[in-house]
Amino acid sequence: MLPAVLVEHVRKEFILRHNRAMGLKTRFLALFHQSKRERREHFLALDDINLRVEPGEALGLLGHNGSGKSTLLQIIAGILEPSQGRVITRGRVAPLIQLGVGFHPELSGYENIFLNASLYGFRNRDTQKRVKDIIEFSELAHFIDTPLKNYSSGMQMRLGFAVAVHLQPDILLADEILAVGDQPFQEKCHARIAELRAQGMTLILVSHSAEQVSKFCDQYVRLDQGRVVEEGRIDKSVVASISAISATM
Amino acid sequence: MQTNTIAPSSAPAAGFARYWQYRDLVRNLVIKDLKVRYQGATLGFLWSLGNPLALILLYDFVFTHIFRSDLPNYILYLVIGVLHYNLFSQAVSQSCESLTSASGLIQKIYFPRILVPTASLLFTLALWLIAILILVVLYPFLGGVYHWGLLLYPLALGLYIAFIWGIVLTFSVLQVELRDLKHLVEIALMFGFWLTPIGYDIHVLKPTTREIIALNPLTQFMDLFHALLYAGTLPALSHVLIATAWTGGTLTVGTILFRRKARHLVEDL
Repeated sequence: MLPAVLVEHVRKEFILRHNRAMGLKTRFLALFHQSKRERREHFLALDDINLRVEPGEALGLLGHNGSGKSTLLQIIAGILEPSQGRVITRGRVAPLIQLGVGFHPELSGYENIFLNASLYGFRNRDTQKRVKDIIEFSELAHFIDTPLKNYSSGMQMRLGFAVAVHLQPDILLADEILAVGDQPFQEKCHARIAELRAQGMTLILVSHSAEQVSKFCDQYVRLDQGRVVEEGRIDKSVVASISAISATM
Repeated sequence: MQTNTIAPSSAPAAGFARYWQYRDLVRNLVIKDLKVRYQGATLGFLWSLGNPLALILLYDFVFTHIFRSDLPNYILYLVIGVLHYNLFSQAVSQSCESLTSASGLIQKIYFPRILVPTASLLFTLALWLIAILILVVLYPFLGGVYHWGLLLYPLALGLYIAFIWGIVLTFSVLQVELRDLKHLVEIALMFGFWLTPIGYDIHVLKPTTREIIALNPLTQFMDLFHALLYAGTLPALSHVLIATAWTGGTLTVGTILFRRKARHLVEDL
């Protein structure tokens, strides 16, 4: 079977620009002052990453801050371009790097649903078919016609999550976003993710919590300084594997 | 099922179909801007009439009482010029910040980046269409003539919008690297107003000045609009060709530059 996500020899190099000249003044001063000159440093964020995720599987990306896991997710989502290597995805990819991308505080919750969904490439009439379910899931029916600026941050995240999980993505890329709202809502989110997984959705979950990864994923990859340092499958019946992962945190 | 390959310098898959899929995104972005812009203002969209009306009254005063112009139906001449120049200046100055102010979207999700400056242009165009109502309503009273040539006006306007789109694309990506651009552009637009035959007739100028003014692409477009809407004639073919060449130029530069820069946009924002 063809994999849902295939990452081959991906390398990502960033150029760190110290004292980046954004304007004419700094560019001019740099002609005379060594210290104001822009210094460029190459920074290797990812080095020769290979991954293969079969349709319906869930992969956890573990690692410390700055290990490159979010960069990898951005490359899979198509936001960043790899310096070398390639990524092949099959199906509709929904990146959940931030909940409620494009939400505007002055628009109502209802209007924001359409704006947010269209960023994922959805036509308004397709959103229209799902809007009832989205509102119901978010539990915000009473507030849906009021401006988003009156929502608490938890309410905004609930709405963002509700939109994302109702767009029926084939591949969901989630960056630390499974902690939404209060305990009952979190459980509802987890149930919804499990339901989508049961329908065959592929999941890539970025997390620094080994516990969360072992709960949702079949396999995991641990990144450190842009390299894969550990990978394996998660056997849910064996609790020992969880503690083994936790021990290395 | 859609398959995507993400690799360095891979050709974007199925160009137009991909953008077309996102047409409702453009629509929603434009509607959002329209809703947000006049929120809370009692007169709402009427305010988009206020600015051009005030400008026209001001210039009419200046050009009829201070510098005398002997053009017949002078106000019509002026209204045509001011409205069309406004479309250009508003679209171009807005576009500079379209990408930089959308960084929140661009860094979080993939969608065709070209839609951001395009939505910014369409937003300006939507407001401008409300302002152009002034011209439609006043047209017969200001001495406008109805003739078959008016049917060509949408084509001339389309050409003008394409010309502006090319500039909008160019400036939106250049602003990302050179944050001074917006301020330079705003000054240039003030000069541009006087270097374009809006309040005066190009034929009253000295030959050398006239040649300099004719280098301004907007002069060519103004000539098209003045011929069709003011003089009631067809524009000279040479002006149409020069305007078309300028449009081809800005579109080529704009799309090539945008495609090249769009790849690394996220890292530069």
